[in-house]
Amino acid sequence: MKSTWSVGIDIGGTFTDIVAVDSATGETRMGKVLSRPDDPVAGITSACHSLGLELENVGDIMHGTTMATNAIVENRLQPTALVITEGFADTLEIGRQNRRELYRLSVTPRVAALVPPDRRVEARERIDAEGVTVTPLTDEEIKRLTAEVEKLGVESLAISLLHSYVNGEHESRLADSLRDSVPYIALSHELNPEPREYERTNSTAMNAALMPLVARYLARMKTVMESSTGLHLFHSAGGMASVEAIQTRPLALALSGPAAGVTAGAEVAGDIALDNVITFDMGGTTTDVSIIADGEVPISSNQRMAGYPVRQMMVAVETIGAGGGSIARRDGKAIRVGPDSAGASPGPACYGQGGTQPTVADANAILGYIDPDRDLGGSVRLDIERAERAFKPLADAFGKTIPETALGVRRVANANMARALRRVTIEHGADARTCTLLAFGGAGPMHAVSLAREFGIETVVVPRFSSAFSALGCITAEMRYAEQRPVHMPSASWDADGLGEIVDRMRYRLAEPLLGAKVGEGDLRTEVVGLVRYSGQSDTVSVMLRQPYQAETLNAEFRKLHDRLYGFSTDEPWELDTVRVTVKAPPAYELSSLGQAGTSQRLDKLTTRECWFEGHGKLETPFYDRSKLPLGVQIDGPMIIQDDWSTIVVEPGTEASVDGSGQIFIRVR
Amino acid sequence: MTTQIDPFTVEVIRNALTAVAEEMSLVIMRSARSPLLREAGDLSSALTDASGGLIAQGRDIPAHLGIMGATVQAFLGRVPAGQLQPGDVWFLNLPEVGGNHLPDVKAIRPVFSGTTLQAFAVCLAHWADIGGANPGSYVPDARDAWQEGLRIPPLRVFTRHGVDREKLDVILSNVRGAEEREGDILAQMAATRAADGRLQELFARFGVATLQAAIEDIHNQAEAEMRNAIRELPDGEYSGEDFLDNDGITDRKIAVRVKITIREDTAVFDFRDSDDSATGPLNATPYTAAASVFYAMKAIAGPDIQPSAGAARPVQIETRPGSILNPPVSSPVVGGNHETSQRVVDAIFKAMEAAVPERLSAGGSTTSGLLLFSGIDPRTGKWTTLYEVHGGGEGARCDRDGYPTTRPHMSNVMNTPAEVIEKAYPIRVERQALRSGSGGRGKHAGGDGQERRYRILAPRMVMTSMVERCVVPPYGLQQGEPGAPFRISVERTDGSCMQIAGKTHIELFEGDCVIMQSSGGGGYGLP
Repeated sequence: MKSTWSVGIDIGGTFTDIVAVDSATGETRMGKVLSRPDDPVAGITSACHSLGLELENVGDIMHGTTMATNAIVENRLQPTALVITEGFADTLEIGRQNRRELYRLSVTPRVAALVPPDRRVEARERIDAEGVTVTPLTDEEIKRLTAEVEKLGVESLAISLLHSYVNGEHESRLADSLRDSVPYIALSHELNPEPREYERTNSTAMNAALMPLVARYLARMKTVMESSTGLHLFHSAGGMASVEAIQTRPLALALSGPAAGVTAGAEVAGDIALDNVITFDMGGTTTDVSIIADGEVPISSNQRMAGYPVRQMMVAVETIGAGGGSIARRDGKAIRVGPDSAGASPGPACYGQGGTQPTVADANAILGYIDPDRDLGGSVRLDIERAERAFKPLADAFGKTIPETALGVRRVANANMARALRRVTIEHGADARTCTLLAFGGAGPMHAVSLAREFGIETVVVPRFSSAFSALGCITAEMRYAEQRPVHMPSASWDADGLGEIVDRMRYRLAEPLLGAKVGEGDLRTEVVGLVRYSGQSDTVSVMLRQPYQAETLNAEFRKLHDRLYGFSTDEPWELDTVRVTVKAPPAYELSSLGQAGTSQRLDKLTTRECWFEGHGKLETPFYDRSKLPLGVQIDGPMIIQDDWSTIVVEPGTEASVDGSGQIFIRVR
Repeated sequence: MTTQIDPFTVEVIRNALTAVAEEMSLVIMRSARSPLLREAGDLSSALTDASGGLIAQGRDIPAHLGIMGATVQAFLGRVPAGQLQPGDVWFLNLPEVGGNHLPDVKAIRPVFSGTTLQAFAVCLAHWADIGGANPGSYVPDARDAWQEGLRIPPLRVFTRHGVDREKLDVILSNVRGAEEREGDILAQMAATRAADGRLQELFARFGVATLQAAIEDIHNQAEAEMRNAIRELPDGEYSGEDFLDNDGITDRKIAVRVKITIREDTAVFDFRDSDDSATGPLNATPYTAAASVFYAMKAIAGPDIQPSAGAARPVQIETRPGSILNPPVSSPVVGGNHETSQRVVDAIFKAMEAAVPERLSAGGSTTSGLLLFSGIDPRTGKWTTLYEVHGGGEGARCDRDGYPTTRPHMSNVMNTPAEVIEKAYPIRVERQALRSGSGGRGKHAGGDGQERRYRILAPRMVMTSMVERCVVPPYGLQQGEPGAPFRISVERTDGSCMQIAGKTHIELFEGDCVIMQSSGGGGYGLP
């Protein structure tokens, strides 16, 4: 008999997180095992085992993965050929011609082209900016191109022809002729129907290069699982997608893991009624942040990965190159933290795996925040002496004690992150002071309270399941499909009916794969967002569109938002540049339906230790076990709250409370 | 009187101030109207202290960033601090007032805490047109400053009560594309306002005394970093020279010469032997020369040096009044900003070859490669101007080849995608490709330039060029060979094809094709 368990799994670089729910009883379990980069399927199996479940009889698997992310970042993409309009073969090399470093001349100005010159083929054809054919793509030319591509003997092919975003006919005809000889083909007008040939071509090539990797992975997953098991993948735009959809568009997995965390953040924000939230997921080498306004997952279609532009709708996550492994150093009279990192190997000095440089994690160890008698993810144990040894030279140089130096390094690390956070909030037009900081992941809760202070944020929330938060996101996310199309409709020639037809067509296409046994037409929700700008502007403002799509309503809403974002608005003409339609089916599990947390009645300390805090020096500090905190309790800082995988530092002068469902709130002011 | 402050607080404040400068650039890029700002990012932002000493900058264009402090200092020479009010935003572009060229218009906002002036927020934007003889305000044969466009002395365009419509109208009446310019002006104003708001938060949080003490420390740290960087260079006197192809009017090369004296932790850059000022628009202000020196020092000696006024203290720069780097006020300067400034860097690099060749790159395509196309788009009946810069090959280094098609040194403005050009202008881009073999040979080869072909689809257009390295090619280092020179030619519908000058203004007709081939980078070491 089929099990009633559903699992959400997030495979990260170091750990695989799992959250499992029994649909019959509502029982919820959470676990964490080491990832198996060599064999991710084995990692999933062992994650299930850690919760006493067998993979073959799990009902549904909702799955986030860094597989595509890592393939991009570590440059393990598959060899790909490119067919591009005649005269434009070098477009990937020329890029936007700028250099990434202003003053550091030793660094190459840009990353290498995704497709090398010997695999780029030029097609004799031309369509103009209005979609009119200037040079037809003849049958003979198709024959010649097919032969050329076959000679290259690659599995993957990207086709990117000029102005295909207004007329994709040439790309489609060419693909039809090549399907028999090349198994994986990506078309630029399907993947990214927008102008800018470099960015579109690059995104298409990246998608083509991911296709065989993802196809093989999914095929292996299917052989392990029973045919009746439902496998769904978490895509970068914050929802689940079917295996079939992902196979043609694996680039949609590019930010799968972080997107699941942000989506869980949006669920939590909705559940406890927070308007604006900054998600804060700090790891060893990087930190992911994003802004959730009014419970909506933020979407951007203009991001970069590993130096390459990726034009896909993705959750807008900003990755900061700073984390627990960031190294502190003296520079003349100044102190700097990062950008160098001790990474996972050798890691911070306190992990005792060969690291000797002072890192942010070492500062936390010195300050007493981490119980040295506790296991950290199994094998690692804390060595505070090593941390102190690493800090000694720095402390001597500044004439400070080791704990004072550690406090200083923590402040600087938080200031670095606050600066990156500032950039993210500005880009989303959010006022940080009105935001709540939602901290999860390994080191997020350790720094959240100080960061909130640095940034002027009043409330920190550390949600339930915070150390397997992306896995939680997988299980509570809606099924959703989204698509965006350029429409270029100026306010002067507004056509509400035309727009309605475009939206209806998109909606129909998006709804199709969602409808089925469990989901009926009535369950679906549709969201239509217009990307609007003044004629001549580059960036757009996202405005919610509602039937009957009146220009006046949109006009008022756009100006209000423009004024909020930029501090001015004018009476000038504007245009609806792009329309984005999202169709959502309700999630299988609501956050609130997940099993109850902590049922203790008494507040018991685990232990008391000496910890150092900014402005207070050394204080006797109680340690609590998160799972044993009574619901509804309120405690004044300082204190340390720990669970199996993470530590919450609650500073003096702040107050922690646990709400009725187990979320921890920390009031900073 | 000085407040003692620990190094951690200084670093926290340094990050916060840099974040403010970065925020300004984000605000303007997102809200500006002209493609040059929003697509290509031809803008920069900075904060200075109350006397105009640079404190922090965004990650923008070196040619702009090097002059911001000088602009505020010269501005204060014209407008006494007592006249400044909270809420003011002053606009100016005069080259002689700490400036570079007319299209780069600076918005300056004095920032107060209470009634005390504490800092300035400066936002520089390249306006796609500032009036003058030609659309796009590049006049390759200009002989005086007034032919180059509208000269804006320090002008209070915004007060706390809002915009001064009369002044704004004077500006908008003297530039092409008034609607677009007005959008850009508002964006510049909004950027400085954002900075003001952030600084007020910092005043409240740290207190003015602590903040000012931190700023003094930031200056001192930058000074110490620069002194350390100079100390790492071998003491000695180093001479270098580089040549402009011509000044757009007279067909004669113009020398930029430098004598660099490194002594312990100080450096003197003496440009007094450079040629006299030019008749055409290739003159550069001493502020532009200083920006080039600052760039070169960072690139050669210390990329991480905090861009602050303190970093300039150990460096002395000398220019001769009447020379190409210190011209009379009446001189035209539009091309000097991005062409002659690159010659200054090249002269410094060539001088330092004797001292630290392993830190240098060979000559790159050190020109904006600027082509401006203007005309009426038959699809819309509207006048349009495409302002396009072209990168070329990067110079090789001791340990690697040069990269193809890159913007070198003082600029980092992006290209406009072919699809965007074809949508917005009556032009078809028929080809964008690497210019194979244009990089100079060497132990490591210079990077290749690029070729772009522009087919004209309007009955009539005009094109202005402002391009260097057509005559004097990018140099090799350590006996590497030079890169191929820049080359622009026009193929007419009758089949004729002629090469045109690097700085010129010509008529184009439907069906004509402009072929732009940018220069290759120089090689490094014997081939």
